[in-house]
Parts: sequence; structure tokens; C-alpha cells
Amino acid sequence: MKELTVTSDAPGERLFVLGNEAIARGAIEAGVQVAAAYPGTPSSEILETLASVAKELDIYVEWSTNEKVAFEVALAASICGVRAMASMKHVGVNVAHDSLMTASYIGAKGGLVLLSADDPWAWSSQNEQDNRYIALQGYIPILEPSSVQEAKDMMADAFRLSEEFGHLFMVRSVTRIGHARSDIVLGEISKERRKGYFKKDPSWLVYTPAGARKNKPLMIKRFERIKKAVNTLPYNQLRLADKAKLGIIACGLSYSYALEAIKWLGIEDKVSILKIGTPHPLPEELVKRLLNSVGEILVVEELEPFVELHVKAIAGGANIPVKIHGKDLLSVIGELSTRKVTEAIAKLTDSKLPVDFAALDKLAQEVAPLLPWRPPALCPGCPHRASFYAIKVAARRVARDYGKEVEPIYPGDIGCYTLGVNPPLEAVDTCICMGGSFGIANGLAHVIDAPVIAHLGDSTFFHAGIPPLIDAVYNKANITMVILDNSATAMTGFQPHPGTGYTATGDETAQLKIEDIARACGVKFVEVIDPFDLKKATEAIEKAIRFDGPAVIVSRRLCTIIEQREKRERKEKIIPYHIDQNKCNIKCDACVKLLGCPAIIKRDGKTMIDSSLCPGCGICAQICHYKAIIQE
Amino acid sequence: MVREFNILITGVGGQGVILMSELLGKSAVKDGLRVRGSEILGMAVRGGSVTSIIRIGDEVYGPLIPMGKCDALVGMEPSEALRNITYLSKSSLVIVNIAVTLPFTVSLGKSKYPTLEEILGKLSQASGRVVKLDATQLAQQAGSLLTTNIVMLGALFGSEQLPINIETIKETIQAHFPAKAALVNIKAFDLGYQACQQALK
Repeated sequence: MKELTVTSDAPGERLFVLGNEAIARGAIEAGVQVAAAYPGTPSSEILETLASVAKELDIYVEWSTNEKVAFEVALAASICGVRAMASMKHVGVNVAHDSLMTASYIGAKGGLVLLSADDPWAWSSQNEQDNRYIALQGYIPILEPSSVQEAKDMMADAFRLSEEFGHLFMVRSVTRIGHARSDIVLGEISKERRKGYFKKDPSWLVYTPAGARKNKPLMIKRFERIKKAVNTLPYNQLRLADKAKLGIIACGLSYSYALEAIKWLGIEDKVSILKIGTPHPLPEELVKRLLNSVGEILVVEELEPFVELHVKAIAGGANIPVKIHGKDLLSVIGELSTRKVTEAIAKLTDSKLPVDFAALDKLAQEVAPLLPWRPPALCPGCPHRASFYAIKVAARRVARDYGKEVEPIYPGDIGCYTLGVNPPLEAVDTCICMGGSFGIANGLAHVIDAPVIAHLGDSTFFHAGIPPLIDAVYNKANITMVILDNSATAMTGFQPHPGTGYTATGDETAQLKIEDIARACGVKFVEVIDPFDLKKATEAIEKAIRFDGPAVIVSRRLCTIIEQREKRERKEKIIPYHIDQNKCNIKCDACVKLLGCPAIIKRDGKTMIDSSLCPGCGICAQICHYKAIIQE
Repeated sequence: MVREFNILITGVGGQGVILMSELLGKSAVKDGLRVRGSEILGMAVRGGSVTSIIRIGDEVYGPLIPMGKCDALVGMEPSEALRNITYLSKSSLVIVNIAVTLPFTVSLGKSKYPTLEEILGKLSQASGRVVKLDATQLAQQAGSLLTTNIVMLGALFGSEQLPINIETIKETIQAHFPAKAALVNIKAFDLGYQACQQALK
């Protein structure tokens, strides 16, 4: 029997998948023809899955330079009648926001779906923003799944709904959907393939003030139709219990926690529950029926009180006397859990807690001091470690000329290299958003008298690093901009980008050189260095910092993970380093204390290299004063 | 019918935690069981703490194991098992690899690693059954350090608590690896299985 995959046309069969694969499968079932994205946890696997089957299924798939471009690629396809999607992490939607707010005036011809992957607790993000508010601002209806199965179903349905109402839809995923695993029941795959057709219609597609004034009322009309329709969508379900005093309104994934909580408390028959799959717009009729049937309501949702505020508005507008709880009992911070929801419901129903949570909290407190701190770290052999080391040595040399008190400033950015914030490198002073390092550096240059050395990665450079680079040239900011070029979007899973020479689907394409772009933007000092040649790299960076005017350093070395993979494929040996204990001065510790390489460990009073971790980059050997570190 | 069986796998990025849950999940689905699970990717893989959850049964809805409701905790690394102690109850089974992976913060002098006795003592207080084994050494015996995770998977099955058939998981392991590696991995699985059986005797 052939093993099932995401492309198997086997309706009714069950497949074990990652949530993001389920989302991709939903799009495949809907016959998506164009998919664009920029990588970002927890969304990247959606486009990766589609890219891996693009040729087989005749789908156009691209990694775009950023989320704004990705969304515009999808929007254009929709305007031409083709089903299209863009997927991105929550903060990626900020980048696409400009196009998005007018796209909702346009609506959709071919089904158009924006997948927003939110990240409560900011597991791998810079903030916890709740993108339901972005959808609210743009009159964009949201489908929010409660399970991996529903994520697949909603994704497939979103394209159909988008065409039915001529409007774009958002599917809002969260980390615990996209990075959840589950068995799903497969649906039918649409084989329909449409040919794009662009019909010139300036009154619809040209947004002058007149265009805005003409199209906004049409958008409002579309949205009013959707508002009625959501009451009968299967994703919203009302279950009224006889004589229930408490009604629970649970949105998206929170519904699964609510179900487990009432089961755990053994009060399934005593509460009414409204499952919300469309937080925007809410199914008003269902909400009113619930509000009228109980005395108290608990709204269960992650992050902001989005549903809660709307439910309160509905209750107020209809004069329904009901007490509504939500964020008074459940925090706006972080993810929900079955425990948190159980405690909130227990409080409102006077139920006995099924587990002594206080005892478990006490246990956690007792254990906490025993636990070692295990933050993620730059990999052994990571070229960023060498770059940071060289940057700091060079910057300190220059800072000395400024006077005793001056500390160089290192604005940083989003990528693996953000891990450079940890000791001992401590080479990241700010990290705010994609491309933010260069932008912040520009501002610092005009108010601070110290060397400013900003850094970002190659993919980040193409995404959002070019406009602030131009700003530095135009406005004469005396800063050094280092591009840590490891030839991949490493943090999110080594996706290709415009500097790699190949596309999402593995086709060869033009390879853009960062140094060419910097020169073309008017930067007068541009040098390419190999961070593994520490001496030369440090000298070049020092020259760049001393240069009067904006300077660019491209620190180029392939990501060690990719390099090791390629070496294995070429059957090339990886030769680790080791420490000659006769030469090592145990009091020195430079390799341990300056590099923070996970392969260099101290055990039984000795400094050693774990040969199973060491890929042989040799940076430690370069900084060892005693020449004690040698390749085996 | 299985109502609810919760497995929590913990370890350090690079130890193959995610693969273990993939193999478990696939096997459970083959056996006709419903599966829910969750993991944290991204920041966690770079040598940080990793946890992966597999929940099996018809009465499971959410992706996370509620506190105190873990049936089996598999610790690929002792301190990482300890980090998840609040998921345990007296009826939980704990299987822990005693081979330590020191975080770089310990070498830097920024944090301390507890003694094995402290870790095992705490775990034994929280749960009735703690099985400890040197999975890293058993993996070496099987022929590759890379099979440490499969040794632990074998140990998990050696407890005879799982609702998944042992033939099914072995088939899934066999199908996952190329022929030569599959042989080493099955050997690793068997070594783990036996070690757990012996420990429980």
C-alpha cells in the first residue's frame, strides 16, 4: 500500500500531520493556484509544504522578499480570478498592512486567503500581538480553528467563502495549531485550474480618493452579508444545557481547553457552550440566544479581550442583563491551558478542583533553583559567533579613541543572530523588528557619540534592510552596517532568498549580491570578509568603523548546519578540534569565556571539546594564546 | 477504546525529540487511535530545552497535557525531565536517560547543574515509578549515538503501558530509516525495551 501524503487524493482517509501541513492540505483541496510567503515561525512549514508539491500539482509557489510583496502577489492573482493565498507570522502582517487595508476595499474575485500565524507567549517572536484587531480594522472576516482538523477544513472553505462573498478572508492560526500534530480526515482535492484574466477597471482598482469613496460602501455591504451568514456556518456551534447558569463562549483553540476543563470538572451537563470559529464578525444571533439563556458568561480566548468586548457590546445593545467575565479571570498574557480555564470555570461554578494545583505550584518553586539555565545558543561552528567576536574586538579598539567611558552600541535584528544577546558574546543591544537594526542605528548616529555597529542577516537585508541603508547614505549617518550572510534564512529552516540563486521550488535564478546593492545605494566603504579569518575580519571591521560615513561589511560564510549537511553528502570528513591538556593553561579560559561555544565544556577541572558537537570551525584555535587547540 | 493517554517527551535540541513524537503519532494513527500533540520549534532547536507532547485517545481535545495528567514522561536528559515535574502524578511513569548534557551556561559559570541524586529524588517523590537507564551507552552498544532517542522509545514500550502495538512502532521505525540504519535503530529499540523490562522487574 502506498503511504498517504498531503497530496493523496484519498477522501475519508486519515493522515498524521503537523498543523501547518494540514493548512497547506486545506489549500490544496481548495485548488489554490498561487501561494506566496516570507518565512516566519510558526508559519513557515505551510509554504514549504506547498513548495514541495508545487510542480506535481501545478501551483505557483514563491518565497517573496517580504510579507507585503507576498500579499500583493496573492492579491493580484485573486484580482485575475485565480485562487491565491499568502501566509505569514503575526508580525509579518504588519509588513503587509499597507496593502491589506486597501485590499479589503477591493475584495476578491478568485478566492483570497491571508493566513496569519499568531504566537501567544511569543515562543519565537518579538511580541504577542493579536491579529484579530488588524482584521477588525480592515473589515476582514476571520476563521479561527479549534483543532488541526478544523484548520484544514477552514482553509479549504475559506477560498469558497471568499468567492461566495467576493471578499478576502483571514484564517488565524496560533503556535498550538500550526505546530500541533494530529490525525486529520482528508477531503477531496479540486482539480480545477483557472487561467488568470486581468480586466481593466480603474473604478475598482485605482485607489484615488474617489476610488476609496466609491468602494468603501461596497465593502461594508459585503461585510454585512457575511455578518448574517456566519450564524449558520458549521464553525460556530451553540450547545444549550437545561437549567445552565453559566454560559461559556470559547474562541478558536480555546474551545479545546474549555471542553477539557468542563469534562475534568465533571460539569458537562451544567454549562452551555458557544464555540466561536468566526470571532470577526461574531455570530450575533447565536450570541444573543446564549446571553438570554444564562445569568453569567465566561469568554475564553487567548490574548486580548476581542470576543469579550464584542459580546459586551451585543449584550449592551440588546439590553440583556447578564454578567460577562473574561479577562478578569483569564490573563491577556501568554497562552491559555486546560488548567487556567479549569480554574476560571471552577470559580464561577463553585466546583472542586480536580488536581491540587497549589501543591504543584509549590513543587515547581522548590525545583526551580535546581534547574540549570539552558537557553538556545548559536550552534558550534556558527559563523555568527566569529563575526560577533570580530565586531566586538574591532569596536573596542575604536572606542578607546573616543575616551575611557565610551561603549560601542550594537543594534541587532531578527534571526539566529539574536542569540548573540546571551553571554558571553553580549553583542546585541536592541532587537525590535525586521530591519530595525539599521533603522535604529540611523537614529543613534544623530544623538550618540559612540561607534554604532548594526547587524542583520542576509534574508533580513533583502526583507527590510535596504531602505534604512539608503537612509544612512542620504542622511549621512556615520554608522557601520554588518550583514551576517550565511546564505540562508537559517532560523526558520534554511529557506532560500534572493541572495541564494534558487527559488522556493528549487529552480535556478539570478543571485543578488549584497555588496553590489550596497555600492549601488551609494555606500562608499563596502568590504566582504570571511569571519573564519578572524584577524583579517577584525581589521576590515575596524577600518569600516573608522570610515567617515556609512560603511558596509558583508560577513560571508555558509550556515554551519547546511555546510555539514553538504559535507556529509560529498562524503567529506568533518574533523573536530581537541585540546592538548599539556599545553592548555586551565586558568586562562579564553575559549570558554569569550566564545560560549556549546562544544567547549568544562568538566572535572579540565576544558575539553565535545568531538560529537565540534564541526571544526577552528575559531577557538585562533584565539588560544597557548596554541593548545589543534585539529585531530 | 482509549480515552486519554498522555506522553511528554523532553530533552535538548538535537536529541531527536521531535522524531520520537512523529514516530509515536504515526504508529498510533496506524493502530486506529486518535492523536493530538504539540511541540515548540524555532528557538528551541538551537541547543535549548525541547518538549514534545503526544496525546492519544477519544477524550483528548487540546494540544497540551494538563498539569498532573501526564501518563508517561520520557526524559532524554535528566534536568530536562525535572523541568517538567509538575505534569506528573503518583500514577505517572517516568523513564529517564541518566546521561547529562551540560548547558554552556554551566561551563561559563552562569548556572549550576544539580546532582543526579537530587534529580532522581525529586522525580521519585512526584511519581511512583521512575525507570532510569543509560540510553546513551545503550545507543553506543546498538552501533550509533544517534539512536539514543530510539533506545528511549524502546524503553517506553518496555513499560507495557502504551496503547500502541509494538509491531506497529517497529514497522514505523523500519519504514522511516534506510535499510542499514533501520537495523541499528531496531537493535537500539530492543535494547531500550529490555532495559526497561529489567528495571521494572
